[in-house]
Amino acid sequence: MATLVYRVLNVSSRVVVIDYGMGNIWSVTSAIKFLGEDCLVTNDPHIIQKADKLILPGVGSFRRAMHTLEDKKLIDPLLEAVKVRKRNILGICLGFQMMATSGTEDGFSYGLGLIAGSVERFTQDELKGLKSPHIGFNQVVIPDGSGFFAGFMDQVADFYFVHSYRLLPHTLNGQIALCKHGINFVEAYRNENIFGTQFHPEKSQTQGLRLLRNFLAS
Amino acid sequence: MLKKRLIFTLLYDSGYFMLSRNFRLQRVGTLDWLQHHYNFARIAFFIDELIVLDVSRNQRNPDVFCDTLKALTAGCFVPIAAGGGIRSIEDAHRLLRSGADKIVVNTPLFETPDLIARLAEEFGQQCVVGSVDVKRDSDFLYHAYIANGTQKIDRNITQAISWIDEGHVGELYVNSMDRDGTGQGYDFDILDRLPGIHSIPVILAGGAGNGTHLLAGLDDVRVDAVATAHLFNFLGNGLQKAREFIMEQQAKHLASWPSVQDVIM
Repeated sequence: MATLVYRVLNVSSRVVVIDYGMGNIWSVTSAIKFLGEDCLVTNDPHIIQKADKLILPGVGSFRRAMHTLEDKKLIDPLLEAVKVRKRNILGICLGFQMMATSGTEDGFSYGLGLIAGSVERFTQDELKGLKSPHIGFNQVVIPDGSGFFAGFMDQVADFYFVHSYRLLPHTLNGQIALCKHGINFVEAYRNENIFGTQFHPEKSQTQGLRLLRNFLAS
Repeated sequence: MLKKRLIFTLLYDSGYFMLSRNFRLQRVGTLDWLQHHYNFARIAFFIDELIVLDVSRNQRNPDVFCDTLKALTAGCFVPIAAGGGIRSIEDAHRLLRSGADKIVVNTPLFETPDLIARLAEEFGQQCVVGSVDVKRDSDFLYHAYIANGTQKIDRNITQAISWIDEGHVGELYVNSMDRDGTGQGYDFDILDRLPGIHSIPVILAGGAGNGTHLLAGLDDVRVDAVATAHLFNFLGNGLQKAREFIMEQQAKHLASWPSVQDVIM
């Protein structure tokens, strides 16, 4: 913890990166700083509750990550900021998956319930002989180069993925970009103030920086 | 379609970045050299992934290594795997908090498999890269080596890496000790000896000396990523040139993205 830089609180737009001990915090914050924005890394429930903008990163297993959020008493403040105060939140990779109703990694567990859906492993049938984990840059199809994807002129862009589970939303709402690994799955999501990416924008070279900038400007 | 990857591997020993030839190390430069004379921040925009390994031959200093990793990765927006000396969950945690997205393990794969299982449980299988240093011995058989290539695993290679099937390792980094640093090209015969590699991504390392070698690796269907640790063969704009060469020959292999000026300005 001593290695983290805690910034002063009195910045106009406070981007809060939720640190529950399982995210690649350093990568996320260095990308935000590269874009010239300030951000605050914290596990303080009060700061999370009052955040202007939230980023929920995640590397690890679904069940353990949810338990850790719960142990640190961060779930209620997060939901307060997102559901009551309608603050924008970006979930990245596992952080995106945790927004679902439930997950099956390491046994069944409940998620944050921000997106109606479940998180399940790619099945052998779906993979059709492809490898899992799905690791590397993959081409994603962007039907609409506006909003979250503003500035993306081409219909496709390469983003970096590393996962063996993916979120299966119950409805088509918010599914703004798809990727194919054996089968199509949702790689980017936006529904009102809830943003999510299965890929890692902070690891996707300049395409990822562009997307993060769009979120910070949202 | 999933793209293949061009990976740059940096070898670190007690404050210096090293050139390795058949696992014998030679000092090249400090972090400052890498940043200012090698122009690492620019080079980082021409690779798909970075691997940083602490191969210190004497006592490792994890604090200094982690500080180096942070400084190195602050302007690097690609996946970063780090390893060398991971013997506990806490060691892995420390690297993941210092800029790494994945951890690379070698010796514990053979000596403490329970640690590998716990790492996968804690961080997910996709976070664990299993690294195998392979050498063809005088009996013409391939063997795995651990502890920076000093200790031979006395089983045939197929049995020695049977841990792939246990599902705790998300990727396999296969490094040829014979080709390491020689610039003679990759050893593809190794891949014939490795069972189970059809199930997880394979990174081939050891021997790449030019763009043609990298392309040959990417052309092999068994290979998901190629790595080079040769600081000098790809000096200056060497990696950029190699990437451009690969894109000209087989554009489908690698991902592409706009230049940083196009996005940030």
